[in-house]
Amino acid sequence: MDALSMGLVAAMGALATVAGASEDIDSDIGSQSNPNSQVQLAAQVGNPHRIYNKAIAGEPPSNALWCTTAAIVAYMLIEAFQMPALFSIALGASVAALFDGVMSMSAYFGRNASQKRFNQWVYLDIVRYTTPSIMAHVWITSFCIVTITYIQVYVLTPHHPFPIPVIALIWGLTVGAIGSSVGDIHYGGEREFQWRLFGQGLSTMLSGQIVRKAEAGLRNSIDNAWFCAKFGGPATGMGFGLTVFLDNWRTTVFDPVSQALLAIGTGVFFVIVMNLYNFYLERSARRKYGPYPGYKGDIAA
Amino acid sequence: MTVGGGAAGAPAAFDVKKIRIYGLAGSVLGIYLAWILNTVTGTDIFSFIGAVAALFGVVMGANAVRRVCGYGIGTGVPSIGMLSLGMGVVAVAFGLSVADQFGMGALSVIVTLVYAMIFGYVVGVIANKVIKFNIPVMEEGLTDLAAGGAMAIMGWSFAISGSLAFADIVNDVINTGYIAIIFICGGLAILHPFNANLGPDEKQDRTLVNGVMVGGLSTIATGICAFLTLTPAAALLQLVVGFVIWYYFFMWYYRLVKRDASAVVGTGLLPPSAL
Amino acid sequence: MNFDATTIIYILEIVVGGLLVGIGVHFVPVGGAPAAMAQATGIGTGTVQLAAGSGLTGLLSAGLMMSVTDNLWPIIATGAVGAMIMIDATMLTGSWIYAYAVGAPFASAKVNYDPITGFSQPPYVAPGTVGQGIPTICYVSGTIGAAMGGVGGALIYYPLVMINNNPSLSAVFAIGIFLVNAVLASWNIQGTIEGFHDPKFKKWPAAFKACLVSTFILALVAVIITGGA
Repeated sequence: MDALSMGLVAAMGALATVAGASEDIDSDIGSQSNPNSQVQLAAQVGNPHRIYNKAIAGEPPSNALWCTTAAIVAYMLIEAFQMPALFSIALGASVAALFDGVMSMSAYFGRNASQKRFNQWVYLDIVRYTTPSIMAHVWITSFCIVTITYIQVYVLTPHHPFPIPVIALIWGLTVGAIGSSVGDIHYGGEREFQWRLFGQGLSTMLSGQIVRKAEAGLRNSIDNAWFCAKFGGPATGMGFGLTVFLDNWRTTVFDPVSQALLAIGTGVFFVIVMNLYNFYLERSARRKYGPYPGYKGDIAA
Repeated sequence: MTVGGGAAGAPAAFDVKKIRIYGLAGSVLGIYLAWILNTVTGTDIFSFIGAVAALFGVVMGANAVRRVCGYGIGTGVPSIGMLSLGMGVVAVAFGLSVADQFGMGALSVIVTLVYAMIFGYVVGVIANKVIKFNIPVMEEGLTDLAAGGAMAIMGWSFAISGSLAFADIVNDVINTGYIAIIFICGGLAILHPFNANLGPDEKQDRTLVNGVMVGGLSTIATGICAFLTLTPAAALLQLVVGFVIWYYFFMWYYRLVKRDASAVVGTGLLPPSAL
Repeated sequence: MNFDATTIIYILEIVVGGLLVGIGVHFVPVGGAPAAMAQATGIGTGTVQLAAGSGLTGLLSAGLMMSVTDNLWPIIATGAVGAMIMIDATMLTGSWIYAYAVGAPFASAKVNYDPITGFSQPPYVAPGTVGQGIPTICYVSGTIGAAMGGVGGALIYYPLVMINNNPSLSAVFAIGIFLVNAVLASWNIQGTIEGFHDPKFKKWPAAFKACLVSTFILALVAVIITGGA
């Protein structure tokens, strides 16, 4: 362990936190992944809306695509033209953002056109002002992730044996999986439905009844970013940051060859601590919120 | 994942058999044409034809996704695209390596195709018999999917390396990690079209045009990759070809959206019926 | 190439790896789209995505370990730990949202009492839903599933590198085998599962058979592939 490696691992953790947060906000603006099912359903139950419908193949594959695109551009510029790393990664992230813009637009057009019989219109102004905002967040995500892979492959010792685009693919899949498991709940459970009872999930009877109106006028997707940036985004960032930081920290502090057992043991220790923390969360939530009043069964709380 | 697929038995303007024949013939012949032109002229300028050939495989795969997912598979469209490319990448590595070991590098496309189709068929049988999906087109659909995925990976790999020799593909496509972009971009080209157009009023031509459009994006990506592996002229040509394909099909797609949508408006409130 | 004892062991390792991935997917508590609306217990995403996210994070750790040592055990263990860290961090931060944003107690609708903590579940299931959040039983089950996925990924990756000495090729090949098995298993689950206490878990033999056949076909060709020049 040396100071430089520790600093690098800390930087990777910080970058990952930013990447996770921006990934989640990007998917919330576009209503991607799981909450998308309600946006899709809304028009079918008679609620046409003005919310973006960015159905790009679930978050993990789509984020893998942005990160890999940024990675190949950066890798090509570094290897073929000997460009500076930061410049190459920034340019790669820009190409990734353009790819994302194209895919988002095609998904918005396609999904809404396929709901002709429910009278769901295609609004071009939504495309014009929401897509750039999605692209900006994708730029941040792919920039951070390609920087992480760059550090892993070129700087941190031991160098990672996989090539940059493959690592970017895997981190992209991971950040997408975390974003769709963590941040989406804040959007789907809290923001999409604000007239349900607080303190419980969405009752199936309310499916498709998403909030379509805002304080003034109709709700648009940028408002969703404003809401989710307060908790869903940062929590996703924490999740991805913890994954990257803890996983690399244990192999940096302990030498993976001579202290393999310690490196693995530290990982197991983290796992146990997180299990206990979740148990604490469960217990405190049960104690503070209590059982639901309408329960008629005979099992004691 | 999403409610309301409902495309099973939906009217299809293009017959599946026709798409399959064009897809297989187009991709195989295209890759060989590119290979022959590159070998005969001794340049790598024709590599872009490989990328164009891959588009035929993409169309075939996208149509298969449309047919199978129309029945609703319970896990969303993305899983089947991942399966397609998972099978494809294994088939390509096997085909190239085996053809190379027997000293017949040129046969690799055929070996890849045959293995992919057999494996796709087996997975289809497993899905129907063991996992009990009972989707009538499952075997057929997965055979098409595996073949389409394998041909897409093969075509774009050729477009990056400009050669069918195993050693070249390993050096140019796999060791550089470019296989990752082929994998994910090709996967999205196959699964994104149906996923992006999901809904009761989905139309086959719009879906397939969307597939070619994403294929154009992939060709742009392989063109960027090729700056490292091919001569700059060949890479630039591929980039331009990719951009032209993307632009043409994106405009076509937009025209179809305007044709199919309830209304395409510059701005406005909700439709009068919903206010 | 020749089929000697080592080759057969490699094939077996790949098959076992594939099976671990396929069974491990059944342990991961996945609520699918409903869980994102706190309508169902588990993690609010698709099965394949989560399995791929955790298993491939494990593959990254295993790949790093494999570049410095040839010893099978640390590689497998580090793959498992990497995958477990990923899924635990995901479930933990997801729990924050369920507890502090949605404001719901965690409960499973599939069992009356949590087999690990003994907490009663039905009184805490919100009306009109099938549970919410990630109770301890699901959390533990997910950790086990991720460990199996990580071990599986590492077990597929290890023999491939031993055969062809090419980490990039092996990594891509391992991703391919991993995805095929994860997708087959998720088709078997049909959307959502809560973990090993879920009645759906009893369907695992079908996934076992499916993954056995498909991985075997893949493993047979995997050992033929050389590392190129």
